[in-house]
Amino acid sequence: MIKKGTGMACMFYPNGSTGKANPAGAFIKINHDGTAVLNIGATDIGQGSNTCMAQIAAQEMGLKLSQVRVVTGDTELTPYDAGTGACRVTYIAGNAVQKTARKAKRLLLDAAARKMGLIHSGQLVIEEGEIFLRYWPAKRMTIAEAATYSERILGQPIIAVDSYSPATMPLEEESGQGMPFEVSIYATQIAEVEVDTDTGEVKVTKLVAVHDCGKMLNPMLVEGQIEGGVVTGIGYGLYEQIIEDPVEGGIRNPSLATYQIPTSLDVPEDMVIDCVEIPEEKGPYGAKGVSEPTCNPTAPAIINAIYNATGVRIRDLPATREKVLFALRELERKEEG
Amino acid sequence: MSEKVAVSLKINGKEVTLLAAPEQNLLRLLRENGYVEVKCGCEEGDCGTCTVLLDGLSVKSCVTPACACEGREVWTAAGVSRQERIGRLLRDNFAKYGASQCGFCTPGMMVTGVNYLMNNGVPDRQAIRAAISGNLCRCTGYKKIIDAIYHTAQELRRETAGEGML
Ligand code: FES
Ligand code: FES
Repeated sequence: MIKKGTGMACMFYPNGSTGKANPAGAFIKINHDGTAVLNIGATDIGQGSNTCMAQIAAQEMGLKLSQVRVVTGDTELTPYDAGTGACRVTYIAGNAVQKTARKAKRLLLDAAARKMGLIHSGQLVIEEGEIFLRYWPAKRMTIAEAATYSERILGQPIIAVDSYSPATMPLEEESGQGMPFEVSIYATQIAEVEVDTDTGEVKVTKLVAVHDCGKMLNPMLVEGQIEGGVVTGIGYGLYEQIIEDPVEGGIRNPSLATYQIPTSLDVPEDMVIDCVEIPEEKGPYGAKGVSEPTCNPTAPAIINAIYNATGVRIRDLPATREKVLFALRELERKEEG
Repeated sequence: MSEKVAVSLKINGKEVTLLAAPEQNLLRLLRENGYVEVKCGCEEGDCGTCTVLLDGLSVKSCVTPACACEGREVWTAAGVSRQERIGRLLRDNFAKYGASQCGFCTPGMMVTGVNYLMNNGVPDRQAIRAAISGNLCRCTGYKKIIDAIYHTAQELRRETAGEGML
């Protein structure tokens, strides 16, 4: 018999590591042709951080995305970064990039003000490769001109360096007090499952994932991160387990045929992904992060849905067919008395 | 090591003769000769990232003996993605719909996608899911890959329908 059920799980998840320094650095240089080179330690492992970091730099300095070249993934050339993990890149490296881009922008505006004969750059706007006077837009020059003027005439190349590390406080051992994380991310996921009570097979038929990642800097990337995380969470909840050999030692299923990750057929067609965009005031343009916690609430939501469908509570992941089937039989026996 | 034998085949439309060891698989032969777009994930036939078209059929090159390819035609991801019209359209839709994250599964997904589109090619999400089920992806959750293939199928279909009307 097929039994249907729904389950929910909520979570919060921190950005960065617990109560420790967690820095990211950035260098920016603006060339004479108005293009920029952004040099960061944060590594893109497919989540799209290079795009996001370039977006932040471009936005801040009034450049087109295509005018920012990102150099990354080489510790010989790039500043230090604590690594791609714990959902920290958008927030921490993003803040470093924004701070650095602001410095570069300041240099550009100062140079432009000098060139235009202004004594203060406060009324200058930088947008789409150009710098102009807010209430007199005809008074304008290109970023390329400002950068060249700054370097050639003022003797100040447009180069900027900065870094960011979240403000945290180590936990005090006795009281447990402190500030482990600067910001946290929140999410809720709801899973709908079908449990086949004859085979123990669990199928996730629908999954709703709603995340608060602050302002989405790139909605398509955010969506991709959540979809990928949810599917990893399905694997964690239902299929994936490392089987150790208790006698010989070693791992008994060291291949993709025996260690099973979800395939396209294990993914619910009905996946609803949404974001609650509550801007995080400390994040770059209000962003926090999204990726790592996307797979956290999935397995608990599935386990709750199995309970809702059948009354059995699986306490040991993954909820394989055998486990579900044994638990169902156990429950039957108990009910029979 | 046993002696190498010459294998003549057509790769991405070009006739070539390559030297292969008798026990070598097609994946290694391709990669050793510069076709590094064909990725090696597991070399056991499980992950699908090494998928190529062999005489029009999508096969996992890691479990295809190189010597069995004498006189046959191979297309890799780089080859198919340059082909009008299916390959280019699918490649552009991979970018448009965000179907690639780390990119490791992408060459295999491209070839499998092209194979789907050149055969039945109906814009049917269930059929597409079944078609790519031999290709594993750890990053995307498959949805955006299915989207890219689906929309390509729809666009191709629209084009054919347009032609029919003329
Ligand atoms: S490398 Fe051929 S299937 Fe994995
Ligand atoms: S994009 Fe990373 S495995 Fe598919």
